[in-house]
Amino acid sequence: MGKIAAHMREFFPFMGRDETDYFWSLRDVSFEVKPGEILGILGRNGSGKSTLLKILSGVTQPTTGRAELRGRVGSLLEVGTGFHPDLTGRENVFMSGVLLGLSRKEIAAKFDEIVDFSGIEQFIDVPVKRYSSGMYVRLAYAVASLLRSDILILDEVMAVGDAAFLEKSQKNIEKIANDGRTILFVSHNIHAVRSLCHTGMLLSKGQKVMQGEIEDVVSFYMRQLHGLGEKSQSDISDRPPLVNLEKADGWDDERPHTILQWVETCDGDGNPTRMFKTGDSMCLRIGYKLDQVVDANYFSVLFIDDLGDRVQVMYSLHDDAEIEIGASGVIECRIDDLRLVSGEYSLTLDFGRIIDGHLKFLDCIPDATQVRVDLGDYLGPLGLRPNQGTLAQRSRWRLLDNRL
Amino acid sequence: MDEIRIIKRQKHFGFGIMEAARRLDLLVMLSQRQIASRYRQMLLGVFWAALEPLGQLLMLTLVFGFLLRVDTGGYPYPLFAFAGLTAWWLFSRNLLAVASCLQDNMGLISKVYFPRLILALAASVKEIFDIAIMFLLLLVVAVVYGYAPGAKVLVLIPLLLFAGLLSLGLGLWLASLMVRFRDVRPMLGLILQAGMYASPILYSPALVPERLQFYYQLNPMYWVIELSRWGLLDKAVTITPSFYWSLLLSIGVIASGLLVFSATEKMAVDVQ
Repeated sequence: MGKIAAHMREFFPFMGRDETDYFWSLRDVSFEVKPGEILGILGRNGSGKSTLLKILSGVTQPTTGRAELRGRVGSLLEVGTGFHPDLTGRENVFMSGVLLGLSRKEIAAKFDEIVDFSGIEQFIDVPVKRYSSGMYVRLAYAVASLLRSDILILDEVMAVGDAAFLEKSQKNIEKIANDGRTILFVSHNIHAVRSLCHTGMLLSKGQKVMQGEIEDVVSFYMRQLHGLGEKSQSDISDRPPLVNLEKADGWDDERPHTILQWVETCDGDGNPTRMFKTGDSMCLRIGYKLDQVVDANYFSVLFIDDLGDRVQVMYSLHDDAEIEIGASGVIECRIDDLRLVSGEYSLTLDFGRIIDGHLKFLDCIPDATQVRVDLGDYLGPLGLRPNQGTLAQRSRWRLLDNRL
Repeated sequence: MDEIRIIKRQKHFGFGIMEAARRLDLLVMLSQRQIASRYRQMLLGVFWAALEPLGQLLMLTLVFGFLLRVDTGGYPYPLFAFAGLTAWWLFSRNLLAVASCLQDNMGLISKVYFPRLILALAASVKEIFDIAIMFLLLLVVAVVYGYAPGAKVLVLIPLLLFAGLLSLGLGLWLASLMVRFRDVRPMLGLILQAGMYASPILYSPALVPERLQFYYQLNPMYWVIELSRWGLLDKAVTITPSFYWSLLLSIGVIASGLLVFSATEKMAVDVQ
């Protein structure tokens, strides 16, 4: 009976609803974006990003609250909006333009540029259903970005198109922003977000968690995703360098064997610490216990940066010296010159065995410990800016000839 | 940069005509798109628009005119039926097209905002385009049967437009209902069939008992069809009080359809 009532209520709103029947996909999200700004909106699946964009483009109405937009909104909630498969590329360009609210005259003025940008002059009079998906997307993107709109909403448009087009469109987005137009950008491609956007906003469960410089927001988001936690930088040094791993979560929350017992990070002299300088030595000590002693075991350490990328992986097999791994003990991994740039790194520890030439992990603990690296003056006073790689490589320069 | 748009929950009720009128460009393009995509890939193109109803007319003539020998008051059956069917086809097809305009274009309306009424209007424009072809065909059939149309035949143009408007109003109602109740769609076929038999299309209205005529004539399509026959065949029509009532009813349906649609179009995407 309850089921029927609930079913009926879905169809007849006047039968009344409980507060629990509602799901707020977006709540308490207040923000401001200025002209010329590229705002990246980050968040996991279901955090409300798309709902936000839908509201801003007018597709859905907000239950409560308001948004003020100055200027025309060009939205690219999904590439190829309004494209009809039977119509030609040319007709679809006009169709989309009119859908975005432009007059035919305005579209005609931009038409050549659009065709040129998309690079499909040859096929512009072919029905778009005969296009390859890349051509389709390029045309759609060109339409949305070149037709004059003051606010451009881009939802996951970088997921398509080849590398060359990606680069082209990134440049185009920067140009748009330089013209004083505003761009709201949603993408799960964290690198695209970081290189394109000026500011960022993080949504979680429909609420705004953070807004600020894109670097800060991205690293906060990635740390949230990759277990570096929401702790601030000073906290890493506060945490003890010795970490007990007996109760730690394994890969996919499962640990087939509990082999790794604890880990400790030390400097070159063996003093426990979590703070390192580029060029310094680093010692990792791992306590382990084995159920059975088998040959061809290995240890490995993976350095994960705050974007979730593996920047360095070290295997015990990399060392020429063979080590006897007993039933239990402490193994040390020594790095003589740390080459990582400034940042916080999460360390994944792995213990496994080589079976028929394949690596098979037996105990893997993601985010077993975290360290902080400071570039210091390893590369001289200039150093490296963010986005200039994850590796500090010294280089020697000299003048071969003073005349060409 | 001067245009400021404020997005918030809208509670106002309007007909939504002004918003749609501002996007005339879009209406033109959407109508073109619908018309073009229908005829583009078909070998016989526009001729299909004529071929299909002619085939139907042939079958109806065989059954009702030849086998059942329905009394038409002396008019040749194919012409008699065709004169009624033209308006009815417009009505029923447009009703279906408008009623499903939101569902059919969900891909579009969930991505970009524009007044949804335009979708309904574009559907109507396409149906009226189709019926224009049929209207010319009707004139040809009339000439073949020796009923060369006079100036009076022009009355069919406003009549057909009225049928289009009426089905638009009713279709908007159904489209609004269909957003929530998908059950409307399977019921539509039945309703349309009932409507077809409730209108004097295949038979002469003289068959309806006198005491029921008042109610029978409340059906706006009765007047559209009978007046079409008057314009084409010079068939006598008496204007009764029901005419005014049905006119009032039609205006009510159209106006309320616009109101209801403009209120529900905003949540169409959410309910999906």
